[in-house]
Amino acid sequence: MLVIFADTDSDLTPDKAKEFGYHLISMPYSYDGKTIYPYEDFDVFESKKFYNMLRDGVIPTTSAISKEKYIEYFEPFFKNGDDIMYVHLSEAMTMTIGNMRAAVNELKEKYPERKFYAVDTKGITIESLSIVYEIGDLYKAGKTAEEILKWAEEEVDRYSVYFFADDLKFFKRSGRVSGFSAAMGTLIGVRPIIYINAAGKMVSIGKERGKKNALDRLMKYVEEKGDDVTAHRILIAHSDDEEDAHELERMVREKYGDDARIEIVVANPTAGSHCGPNCLGISFHSIKRD
Amino acid sequence: MDRLIDGALFEKIVKGGAENLYVNKGIVNDLNVFPIPDGDTGDNMYMTIDAGATAPSDGRSDLGSVSARIAHGMLLGARGNSGVILSRIFAGIAAGLTDLDGADVNTFAGALQKGSEEAYNAVSVPVEGTILTVFRDAVSYAGSRINENTDLNGYFTDLITELRNSLARTPDLLDVLKEAGVVDSGGAGLVYIVEGMKHVIDGGEVTHAGEETVSRAKQINVDTFTEDSVLEFGYCTEFLMRLQRSKTDIDKFDINAFTELVKSMGDSVVSFLDGSIVKVHVHTMHPGEVLNECQKYGEFLTLKIENMMLQHNETVIENRFEINKEKVRKKFGVVTVASGKGLKETFESLGADAVVDGGQSMNPSSGDFIAAFETVNADTILVFPNNGNVILAAMQAADMYDKADVRVIPTKTVGEGYSALSMLDTDGRSADEAEAEAEEYAQGAVTGFVSRAARTTEMDGVSVVDGDYIGYSDDVVYSDSPDKCVAAEVLCERLDAGGCDVILLFVGENASAEEAQRVYDAISEKYKDVEIIMRDGGQPLHDFILVLE
Repeated sequence: MLVIFADTDSDLTPDKAKEFGYHLISMPYSYDGKTIYPYEDFDVFESKKFYNMLRDGVIPTTSAISKEKYIEYFEPFFKNGDDIMYVHLSEAMTMTIGNMRAAVNELKEKYPERKFYAVDTKGITIESLSIVYEIGDLYKAGKTAEEILKWAEEEVDRYSVYFFADDLKFFKRSGRVSGFSAAMGTLIGVRPIIYINAAGKMVSIGKERGKKNALDRLMKYVEEKGDDVTAHRILIAHSDDEEDAHELERMVREKYGDDARIEIVVANPTAGSHCGPNCLGISFHSIKRD
Repeated sequence: MDRLIDGALFEKIVKGGAENLYVNKGIVNDLNVFPIPDGDTGDNMYMTIDAGATAPSDGRSDLGSVSARIAHGMLLGARGNSGVILSRIFAGIAAGLTDLDGADVNTFAGALQKGSEEAYNAVSVPVEGTILTVFRDAVSYAGSRINENTDLNGYFTDLITELRNSLARTPDLLDVLKEAGVVDSGGAGLVYIVEGMKHVIDGGEVTHAGEETVSRAKQINVDTFTEDSVLEFGYCTEFLMRLQRSKTDIDKFDINAFTELVKSMGDSVVSFLDGSIVKVHVHTMHPGEVLNECQKYGEFLTLKIENMMLQHNETVIENRFEINKEKVRKKFGVVTVASGKGLKETFESLGADAVVDGGQSMNPSSGDFIAAFETVNADTILVFPNNGNVILAAMQAADMYDKADVRVIPTKTVGEGYSALSMLDTDGRSADEAEAEAEEYAQGAVTGFVSRAARTTEMDGVSVVDGDYIGYSDDVVYSDSPDKCVAAEVLCERLDAGGCDVILLFVGENASAEEAQRVYDAISEKYKDVEIIMRDGGQPLHDFILVLE
């Protein structure tokens, strides 16, 4: 049979994974010489504690997981005669996927009949999570791997995420956003607006002064780029900025009414290591991403 | 006609001018329009002329070369608007003396005329009732009185007569002076300079050895004197002391005996008496002893002691810039000005490549800017002066610097500078586009200041009481209260804080954490829709700076 995998960079929690039947791959982060694997080294993500630590000046690093680690995840299922589909974070953002391919190539020599499918969500956190959830629905509904891949080919580019960041030092350090100019660092009261493009890369697309303007700008994108918004999940992620997450939820409700299926999640610590605290983003069904 | 002005005499009279301004710069500083103690025109002009008077000799002694060397030193050392104008006066004078070995009164008067014209060229909108007017009037008057009998002494007497008369008229030309009940400070500084020059022409000595004055502008690297260093050179010790009647008979005070006393404790001694003020410069291994002995005659007015081992290592500091230079040449670099640890860090973390120390109470010189430009490896350097009295020095530095395309964004406050820099995106922009965008963003912020008033006056319908705190913005006073927090809150109200998106509250070094919290809580409560952010600015002078965006 087909088993499905997702990784913790998608904000998928073990409870939700269980609900859809996902196996969870843990993406590690490190600080003070310790490497931590989410939901392997802890059961519950203590987000407040984690983001306060970042506010106090800790900047964790993240690392790709090794080929061997992927083999550990996948081999028992191939051995058991199952096929695997892995719905993963944007390949453009990480080295991890290269290691994953190496692992799969090695395993395929050992288990030549087994099938492996990869779906690149071309995103991270809620951008990935939207697609992870939709594929989870299809999987639960008994769709075949081919049907799911066909859906992904059409739909992956039709989920957009827009978010604002607070302290750019995290982004600058990881170098994972393009479009930031030389004179940008720790902004006070000014928030850069970022989106993830069709190539799966984060791009800075302007700035807003004041939180209210930043929230309005996110909402403006939902209205302008949104397509059949209420028929799909609307996900809001925050890195310990719950108040603004609820404000954005309120704004979405005001526009789309109670039909809107909104879920608020906390950005996972591995992604959070790159975006820092006080970021807020929204993912929704949209016209095709650029 | 008697003697000519030659290179040696010109240098000597400039030193005499610097010397006299040094003694009187406190008076010039106090001629302050705004009722807060930010007056530093005297300091600025002194540091500017001193940079010319102490410009190292290149071996050439003809008048043209000497005046050009002095002018160049002043252009580099120029700080503050009056300092920049002063440097341009001397640049014009030097232009009028080019290639001359010496000048007679007529030629010299012509050069001064050129100096006046050049000074007017230095500012985009010349304001009458300032140093510009005072100098122009004096040059014109003294020039018109030259005849075959006029000697240098007579010419300078005429100059001073009209300098003083014109200075007295400045309040009639400029309302802000009249309202504040003062004459123009830059013009006053000029009077002291020319009086000092005449003192030398009359045969007086230059007692204050200019070349031994350490300008505040110089970088001191404290790392050059370590735990294991041996004190070889002692301390450069300088002070002004006022003789006290309770301690000595001022009329019979013997400066020569006093100088001998100082010499017994150190070397390189220069001391002189001006009225009841003694100025002393000495290199000593034991400054404490010198101070104790001298204090038997009076009380200190100003005091400066510097370990000369640090000064002797300046070349090492120069080289540090090379190491700091970023390897990869960027398209855009940013140089900005701020004082206060927190404010400087704010600009640094915002991405400024260099933050020049200074602002309201200490205006950086053109040379300071150029030193900062040297550390930035970029095709285009955007400069944010953040103070109305710093813009000219920045522009002069931009003109003088040819290793990058320097664009000065004329920001008058840290708020404007912050606003422009935080919103600016240089990615994919040309220098012209980036400059235009930065100027536009700078308009997006209103900056309010809360400072302690230094005198009682009536301004903009607000009764300002000496010792109270005033809230003001763009030189308009909006509030006055004995309580700095109340002054800040009323200022916010008057500036329509409710209509903005963000308020940044920079807390100054004179405000306590409790006071800052009180302001923060009060305005947070009042302006619920506004994002209010508090930062420890650490700035001097302003208890609070409020940036309303």
